[in-house]
Amino acid sequence: MKQFPYFIYVLVCVLVFGLFAQSAKTVQAEKQPTQTDEQPVQSEGQAAQAKLVVKDHPFDGGDKLDISIELPQQVYQSLTAEKPGGTIMLMQSEEEGGLYRELAKYPPNDGSWKLNEKAHIVSIEVSGLNTKSEYFYRLYWKPHEGEKQIIAETSGPVRTKREWFLGDKWKLAGVGILICGSVIFFIEVAKRGWKLKVRRIAGLEAVDEAVGRATEMGRSVLFVPGIQDMNDIQTIAGLNILSHVAQTAAEYDAQVEVPTSRALVMTAARETLQGSFLTAGRPEAYNPDLAYYVTDEQFGYVAYVSGMMVREKPAACFYLGAFFAESLILAETGNSVGAIQVAGTAQPSQLPFFVAACDYTLIGEELFAASAYLSGSPEELGSLKGQDVGKLIVAVWLLGGCLIETLTVLSIL
Amino acid sequence: MSKINPDDIEVILATDCGSTTTKAILIEKIDGHYRQTYRGEAPTTVEEPAADVTVGVTNAVSEVAELAGRKLLDENDQILRPSNGKQGCDIYISTSSAGGGLQMLVAGVVREMTAASAKRAALGAGAIVMDTISSNDKRKPYEQIQRIRELRPDMILLSGGTDGGTVKHVVQLAELIAPAKPQPRFGDKYRMPIIYAGNIEAWEPVKETFDDDVELSQVENVRPQLDNENLGPARDEIHELFLEHVMAHAPGYDKLISWTDAPIMPTPGAVGNILQTIAERDGINAVGVDIGGATTDVFSVFDGVFNRTVSANLGMSYSISNVCAEATMLNILRWVHVDMQERELRNRVKNKMIRPTTIPQTLEALIFEQAVAREALRLAYIQHKEFATTLKGVQQQRTVGDLFTQDSGGQSIVNNMKLDLLVASGGVLSHAPRMHQTAAMLIDAFEPEGFTTLAKDSIFMMPHLGVLAQVHPQAALEVFERDCLIYLGTCVAIAGQPKPGRVAFRYKITGDLSDEGEMYAGELKLLSLSGDQRATVEIEPARGLDCGAGKGRPISREVRGGEVGLILDARGRELAVGGEKGADRQTVTQWVNSLHLYED
Repeated sequence: MKQFPYFIYVLVCVLVFGLFAQSAKTVQAEKQPTQTDEQPVQSEGQAAQAKLVVKDHPFDGGDKLDISIELPQQVYQSLTAEKPGGTIMLMQSEEEGGLYRELAKYPPNDGSWKLNEKAHIVSIEVSGLNTKSEYFYRLYWKPHEGEKQIIAETSGPVRTKREWFLGDKWKLAGVGILICGSVIFFIEVAKRGWKLKVRRIAGLEAVDEAVGRATEMGRSVLFVPGIQDMNDIQTIAGLNILSHVAQTAAEYDAQVEVPTSRALVMTAARETLQGSFLTAGRPEAYNPDLAYYVTDEQFGYVAYVSGMMVREKPAACFYLGAFFAESLILAETGNSVGAIQVAGTAQPSQLPFFVAACDYTLIGEELFAASAYLSGSPEELGSLKGQDVGKLIVAVWLLGGCLIETLTVLSIL
Repeated sequence: MSKINPDDIEVILATDCGSTTTKAILIEKIDGHYRQTYRGEAPTTVEEPAADVTVGVTNAVSEVAELAGRKLLDENDQILRPSNGKQGCDIYISTSSAGGGLQMLVAGVVREMTAASAKRAALGAGAIVMDTISSNDKRKPYEQIQRIRELRPDMILLSGGTDGGTVKHVVQLAELIAPAKPQPRFGDKYRMPIIYAGNIEAWEPVKETFDDDVELSQVENVRPQLDNENLGPARDEIHELFLEHVMAHAPGYDKLISWTDAPIMPTPGAVGNILQTIAERDGINAVGVDIGGATTDVFSVFDGVFNRTVSANLGMSYSISNVCAEATMLNILRWVHVDMQERELRNRVKNKMIRPTTIPQTLEALIFEQAVAREALRLAYIQHKEFATTLKGVQQQRTVGDLFTQDSGGQSIVNNMKLDLLVASGGVLSHAPRMHQTAAMLIDAFEPEGFTTLAKDSIFMMPHLGVLAQVHPQAALEVFERDCLIYLGTCVAIAGQPKPGRVAFRYKITGDLSDEGEMYAGELKLLSLSGDQRATVEIEPARGLDCGAGKGRPISREVRGGEVGLILDARGRELAVGGEKGADRQTVTQWVNSLHLYED
């Protein structure tokens, strides 16, 4: 079978993503001027010499407005001079002729004002609004000496509008499409017979070895699916591996034991065991008592399992699921009774304990990849590969971004 | 068998009773050193009309006696002992592989654990393992019973469970064998020997399972704990039963047993014995290969651990079709540097199948045969690497530093970089017209890395020396060094893939040979260094390439010469030959010319 050339795919994806991001940016930039062509949601107010234009902010959640003010030349020059001759104040009210409160003023520019020197336009983005309210705006000119006066005002109410898509999430959409596309793409690739390489996971390859050890030593295989309920994805991943362990145990005619700390997990484990014994061609060897409920209490459960390990000395112990403070207690007990131990959890804080005390450890995502690794089905393998490629693309972009940023800071770019 | 003081032994007579030929050699003490002096051979006479193996033995011994001018047999064709002037010998020893050698069936609970240990014990004792029955061999009980009934092994080795371990599975295995009532090859009154080498606690129920139809014996468990193997007692028992039962029922062997001064050993067991002895004495890692017509035996000793495999369907005559089927014609053709079509190759294979004992008469036929040999050896070595592994089912001790490596049990212990000595025997290797061809076949098939000494067994003397090593180790080692091995030279090869057109390594040679230069990727160079010469070779590999000291690190080692000389190999490992990216015919021709393989 031919090996799929991943690097070509990743390269293409990175380029496509780059083009996508670039085009999204361009579209956004180009879209703004066209707003004026649309049915205006703005009102124009003219007072004195200024022109106030209020527009709905494109691709937002209905909480922003874009306000631009075309100032008379002398006012603009006065504002932008080294020693400004006065300030402009933007005021907002939620009822016509009501109380106006100050939104912003210029100068000083706190970064929210944008200036267009040629057209003598200053603009600002107003946020924190809602779609149900109506807004009125006034612009005051206050010279250093003299009274403030209204130089522009909206003639009617302004409303914001909620859009279907958020404009600042276009890149995220691109990433989402790429990752989903990768998953679909790789599923199709796998279905067409291309060989998708999955890194060797020693812990899963050791299942046969561990069960074989239990068989030769005439002892049982202990499987602990974590202490969380079925709503935890780690428990589900653990039970996926249980099916493989139980099938191997059935083939070897070894005894497997699954104590659980949740009643629902016990039921699921029983179903899993039954299916595995059936697949192995030994349905008569299935005994529902192989999976049983102990207690919901964390340390009550641990005390029982540890005691049982010391008494029965299982030759192989599997800890696959969500673990917390009990991880090291279980792993050390298993180690002391001479068992081959395979552990796996997505709890980063527990991984060092498992690595130190167990023979094999499935680290984080390996636990979730186990199902695809063991089954080798195109759908699961394709999904695994697609996610990996998606992560790789994001990683490449992160690295690229960091590099560009660093070079920019160092003034190399 | 008489006990003789080893210091008093002056003349040693040894025979190896093969399936077709019985070979006899004479070893004499000359100037205080043991040397192999004369050799004779005669057809083996196990079959009718003679049906007595000693007839072939006396014929072969007679030839040696004539050549040596020494009277070795009396008027009744009995071997004269002890030696007295130009008469007789001090000890007589023999090996045997006549009638297909020792054929065994092994059984264990888990295929990769106790069954694998039992198989190692049987192979190490020199047996051919006909099948391995285990609880997880994916066969239904009726299929297993049918298989046991079909086979006609000489003996069965039953193992399973650690001491104090499973009883149920072991008894289940016994319950498969007992009703199957396996029939032995020889003798009507022969009771099938079954060696039990399993869980000590299962012995009683196992004993109850069998009736008097079998000769049941118990030895120590081959796997008392999963963490260690104990193959010695099982191997010794196999040797004993081989003599008592198998040999005693073969035609004339009872007489031969009474003649010998040491127990008759199965030929491969004896070969393994001498290789182990040499590796142990010199503290080296060694691989030996014996390629025959039907099978290929590979022996290895790495870090003191001995392993042997028999590739039953990889051979140069009876099994040549199977080699071609397994290796594919394209893979065989990649070693052929002359214009040869696949059709022509197929015709040659079929001709060889029709007349398996013929030898090549033309250069093309020789090139073809050696191409097949490369593939047969390569495949046999792959099988050997897969079998020679660390023990499975062993608890690992880890640190956090092992987070991303997490090596599992069952890793191959065969490491070409650590290989010091590679010994070849068997027709296609031993009788190649030029020793350069033998060296080239070894290098291409085994792909040794770093510094490896190449040698061949001059006249397939290793079996004789294997038995001798049990009686007189000093004599065996002296003859092995001086007369058995013909040193071909040393191969210096880099591991890793050198970049095309770039320098793979720089070398500087001092001592009996002075030279220095650069080896470019894909190059092969032969330098003249005779058997009694030594040279110090300094290698400076390119980045990413390894010659034994680590990637890119320089290394210096003293090497020995040989009949071929010093071979510098910059082709990289794994060897890429044929296919889209591998070396093409032009490159293969360059290699052939570099090593002067087919010059007259």
